[in-house]
Amino acid sequence: MSYTCGMLPVLDQHEDHHYEMSEYEGAKARWCPGCGDHSILTAVQRLLAAEQLAPEQTMMVSGIGCSSRLPHYMKTYGFHGLHGRALPVATGIKLHRPELTVFVTMGDGDCTSIGAGHWVHAMRYNVDMTAMLLDNGIYGLTKMQTSPTTPQGFKSNTQPFGTLLPPLNPLEIALGVTNASFVAQTAEWAPSHLYATLRAAYKHKGFSFVRILQRCPVFTPAIYQKAVQDPARIQLLVHDDGVVTPDLEKIYKSQLHHDPRDLAAARSLAEQTETIKLGVFYKNPSKPRYEESRRVAPRTPAERIALLEKEFARYAV
Amino acid sequence: MPSDPRVAQALSALAQPIAEFRAAVQGALAQADAFMAAQTADAATLASHAAAQLGVFAKSHVDPAKFAAMFPTVATADKESQKALEKAATILRRVAAQGEDMALATVSDGRKLGATIDTALAGAGQAFGAIIITELVRGSRYKKAEHEKLLDPTEFRAWNNAERRFAPPLVVVVNGADLHAGALLDFADGREKIVLVVEGAAPPAALVRCITPGTFVLQTVDGTGLDRLAGYEGPAIAALLPEGAATFMHDPTAGKEPWQRLTVPFLPSAPFKAVGGFSAWQMEQDVKMLADLARTPFAVPAAPGAKGAPALGAGEAVDRIASWLLETSGIKGTA
Amino acid sequence: MSASATAAPAPPKVLRVPEHTVEIVSDSGEGAQKCGQIFAAVSAKMGNGVWTVELIPAEIQPPPRVPEGASGNRIRVGENAVTNWGDRTDLVIAFNEQVLLARHRVDALADDALLLIEDKWARSEDPDIVAQWEAALKELSSKHYRIIPVAMEDECLTIVDNPRKGKNMFALGMLARIYGRDMELIKAQIAYAFRKKSEEVYTQNVALLELGFHWAEDNIDIRVEIPTHASDKPLVVMNGNEAIAMGSIASGMELCAMYPITPATSVSHLLSEVFERFGGIVHQAEDEIAAVGVAIGASYAGKVAFTITSGPGMALKTEFLGLAVMTETPLVLVNVQRGGPSTGLPTKVEQSDMLAALYGQTGDSPHIVMAPATIEECFHIMITARRLAETFRTLVMVLSDANLATGVSPYPTPTLDEAWQAAPLDLAPVKEGQKAYGWNKETGLSERIIPGRPGGMFTLTGLAHDDRSKVAYSSDIHQHSSAMRSRKMAVLQSLLVPPTVYGDASGDLLVVGWGSTKGAIEEAVDRARKEGLKVSSLHLRFLSPLEPGLKDIFKRFKKVMTVEINYSDEPDDPYITEENRRRGQLSILLRNATLVDVDCWGRVPGEPLRPMSIVEAIRGRVPRGGAK
Repeated sequence: MSYTCGMLPVLDQHEDHHYEMSEYEGAKARWCPGCGDHSILTAVQRLLAAEQLAPEQTMMVSGIGCSSRLPHYMKTYGFHGLHGRALPVATGIKLHRPELTVFVTMGDGDCTSIGAGHWVHAMRYNVDMTAMLLDNGIYGLTKMQTSPTTPQGFKSNTQPFGTLLPPLNPLEIALGVTNASFVAQTAEWAPSHLYATLRAAYKHKGFSFVRILQRCPVFTPAIYQKAVQDPARIQLLVHDDGVVTPDLEKIYKSQLHHDPRDLAAARSLAEQTETIKLGVFYKNPSKPRYEESRRVAPRTPAERIALLEKEFARYAV
Repeated sequence: MPSDPRVAQALSALAQPIAEFRAAVQGALAQADAFMAAQTADAATLASHAAAQLGVFAKSHVDPAKFAAMFPTVATADKESQKALEKAATILRRVAAQGEDMALATVSDGRKLGATIDTALAGAGQAFGAIIITELVRGSRYKKAEHEKLLDPTEFRAWNNAERRFAPPLVVVVNGADLHAGALLDFADGREKIVLVVEGAAPPAALVRCITPGTFVLQTVDGTGLDRLAGYEGPAIAALLPEGAATFMHDPTAGKEPWQRLTVPFLPSAPFKAVGGFSAWQMEQDVKMLADLARTPFAVPAAPGAKGAPALGAGEAVDRIASWLLETSGIKGTA
Repeated sequence: MSASATAAPAPPKVLRVPEHTVEIVSDSGEGAQKCGQIFAAVSAKMGNGVWTVELIPAEIQPPPRVPEGASGNRIRVGENAVTNWGDRTDLVIAFNEQVLLARHRVDALADDALLLIEDKWARSEDPDIVAQWEAALKELSSKHYRIIPVAMEDECLTIVDNPRKGKNMFALGMLARIYGRDMELIKAQIAYAFRKKSEEVYTQNVALLELGFHWAEDNIDIRVEIPTHASDKPLVVMNGNEAIAMGSIASGMELCAMYPITPATSVSHLLSEVFERFGGIVHQAEDEIAAVGVAIGASYAGKVAFTITSGPGMALKTEFLGLAVMTETPLVLVNVQRGGPSTGLPTKVEQSDMLAALYGQTGDSPHIVMAPATIEECFHIMITARRLAETFRTLVMVLSDANLATGVSPYPTPTLDEAWQAAPLDLAPVKEGQKAYGWNKETGLSERIIPGRPGGMFTLTGLAHDDRSKVAYSSDIHQHSSAMRSRKMAVLQSLLVPPTVYGDASGDLLVVGWGSTKGAIEEAVDRARKEGLKVSSLHLRFLSPLEPGLKDIFKRFKKVMTVEINYSDEPDDPYITEENRRRGQLSILLRNATLVDVDCWGRVPGEPLRPMSIVEAIRGRVPRGGAK
């Protein structure tokens, strides 16, 4: 069903155009100064330029929240939809137009709270797309309400005496979903790691889930601050098949050689939260992809009508 | 030709990309036809088109003439554009009428494998041109001087990257004696898929010459592995060979090293007598090369049936095949 | 042996009637539905009009021998086309007396109905069962039914070991004899119904069929003759959900996203089986919300997609439906309505989602709402719905209901047309200056840009936005864009033609209906007119925008009344006044649009309306001698 779609415009490109990074820039970003989302936007634009993705063949899908404004700041096609519902929309786009490259940005409320059901199922469908969870541990746009990933004890507008429950660990959940094929964590304050992780996620064929630790300068500037200031609190997961960032090796001396094919080790690492682990936890390109199993041969109107005639014969009186 | 059940087997392995190419051609044709029809249609004709599109339910509820006037379908095209569109439609109609045959070619006596494929794909290249012309005319962007040449048949070597990405798949029936696999590498680009149905005596491991790190290569005698072809994102070359040939699969997604990518379920010894223009020595080289490529760099036993070839490190094998390929097939850059 | 079985064969009494209604009821799993379906199909093939309704228990495996477990088919067979399920049943075959009681208690049976009951229960070794049997027969004796006990199981056991598996074919044999059905056609139908089973299964079923046929020949003294008229046009027979599935294929849509919900799900059953061959897929999403989200994503990216659901599911989809309207993303939603509110009556018919469909979204959310009136229209409406969704860039809701979904009736085989289908995606570069919403200021219409088109990049958003899809920060933008979305409804209405009145163009009473009630209403109008009442009717297909010219039509009648399967207060109910009366949903809509004092009559019995009850309602509103 997709061939016609993908073919006509690209056939029309006689010369191979080289896209500059600026060609992916949309409206001027209106996030607060110091917001981690700026760094993520830059990484995404850099990735698109590095991969020379045609802007018209690239989709940015988002939900609602600060992070979900990202599509507006890109010059690709964007779908800024409903709170928590980015993933079903992205799934629909990819099912109908598999030739499009799809990125999804969600916040922690978006992905792990109101859209948690879709998140689990999207991981299981394993449709080829790059899903970014921009996790600042707070509802920002609606002004500081506790989200599932808010640290316990954090005083918010909805839990003013301290957030009641321990935070949800998105990595544990992602790694627990049957048929999950790519789970990684990176941080907005380590741009080269962020870029390398997004690139690995983009290159992975399947549903790539990337949790990006991100600071909200207004409401949660401090939640990752210890780790930002003290590199010893961060451990890099390194592997040829995962993310390698030689420029960071001097800063982050704690490194662990972790084979992303090892799910049991990945789950165990995800549970260990005394240090923040950045890198690819799990990657398995051989997991079945839903959109591949749903690929159907397109039919022309004439073929369809001929087949339908036959189908009607089954109901003939 | 279709009497060989393997042809049907090869076509069915490529059913998905064939259907996709055909749908693209049919889609463009439908748009070209609709555009041309609308150029000359009067109000009554437009109303009856609108009525047909709205369906039977709308019959006594929606006024088709008003509807047609509310949604004018197309822009008007000048004479030159109309002429180009007519020509494009003729090409598209011809390709569409070929049905599955558009993806089938036979190497006839006295012709070469490479030339046969080139001719077959040139027809498809012309269809691409026709599709683009259709789009240009519909978008009022057709300029004769600039675009007219798009309707000429274009050989694969002149295709741009995008066209190669959407190259239509091809099943080629070829005599074993004509299996000059080196020629196939000319077409290993984009997402081109070629399946050879090899008849009669054939060199046992000819397709080893097609192995490059990014090309999916398959030799099979019973069709095993053909189902993997259509889904591969890059170029793929496969051959359905007579019994006795080597069987192997080179899957670029399976690993970084040649021995990780290559599985060789069956490796025969090379024949003592020449097959067509292939000498016994040449054929032995193919078999040895396959054994070398498949050999793991550490002490894992070589593929079953392999004999004679000295142990080689993986890196060495890559170097060897690279230089050998350059020597034997005389390839030039294709992209 | 029962008395009737030993009676000497006498020449049967022949009843020549223009129509007759038959029911086969059993515990679920005893095959009554298969018997009914074959009987209906063969009757249609022989040239009778047929309307079949499934009798469905709400549970998958209710306990045996309870009235709530009654499962089967009701088949109304007529000389001419049958457009609804009719009033009461004339002949019943029941596999136990309890399921028969269920039908008796809901007043489904005609006073003089002929009841053929399996009588093995009367001879049960379990004294409780015998007592139940006797109590049931006593209860049934309140009407003038004619009851014929039949030892179905004993008869079947002469051929099969497990009588639960064969009774339905025996019953079919009895019906074949009583109604003079063509045995060869029945055998062909059996062969088709059991095509996935062994030859032995077929042979055994045919043996049971013939056993039932001969038993009836020897023991039942009545024959029913309904004249047949072989159709000159080819016909197909299916239910409304199957018709919707076929229609969606014919419309060229390629993606159906759904989540299982009764009574809509069976659309996806058929589609799931065949859709891939047509280049389409059914996506069963993780929930109702995801289903509509996937459909919107697909629609946004290319060809119009659709989702199917029922009331509770539509409620869950509400936020996304608003998004479709706001972003002018075409989408077709089919709501096969059931009884509500809440979980309500999942398997039963109701027409009470109309206002939710029209006004259930937050904010101002203008969109198209259409309703098919017949099974045939269930097929054809999908083609129109897709086309309108595409051309008007909006949500189109199709309101079907459980009556259409489970009713089975023949209709003329459609003459399929390639033009019904979506055009190939247009991915040409966008024209210079083309905007995401290039609204025509008069009409609000604009051309959609889908991803993949070079030069058209924009971000679709559910936030208020301007014509370039930029988030609106100035005050007049939302006013203007709201007007543009709303204007499209007026534009569509300007393309519609006024509806046709059934009956005289003027009179004392105009009955207005929508959806599946058309057949019952028109039959009721015919009967009322025969009684001398000046009644006509009007059936609406478009609810948003409303069909034009209604006010002019209403003016020609002294009184206008809607007939709907949704709840409304009766004017003389306690506490009910002119001001607080809660009215039928269509009447609310019509009063608003026309300022005519439109009356209403509605019932929510969990079954289709019976023509007779509509006739009574008409009589109540139009006393003999005409309205005031």
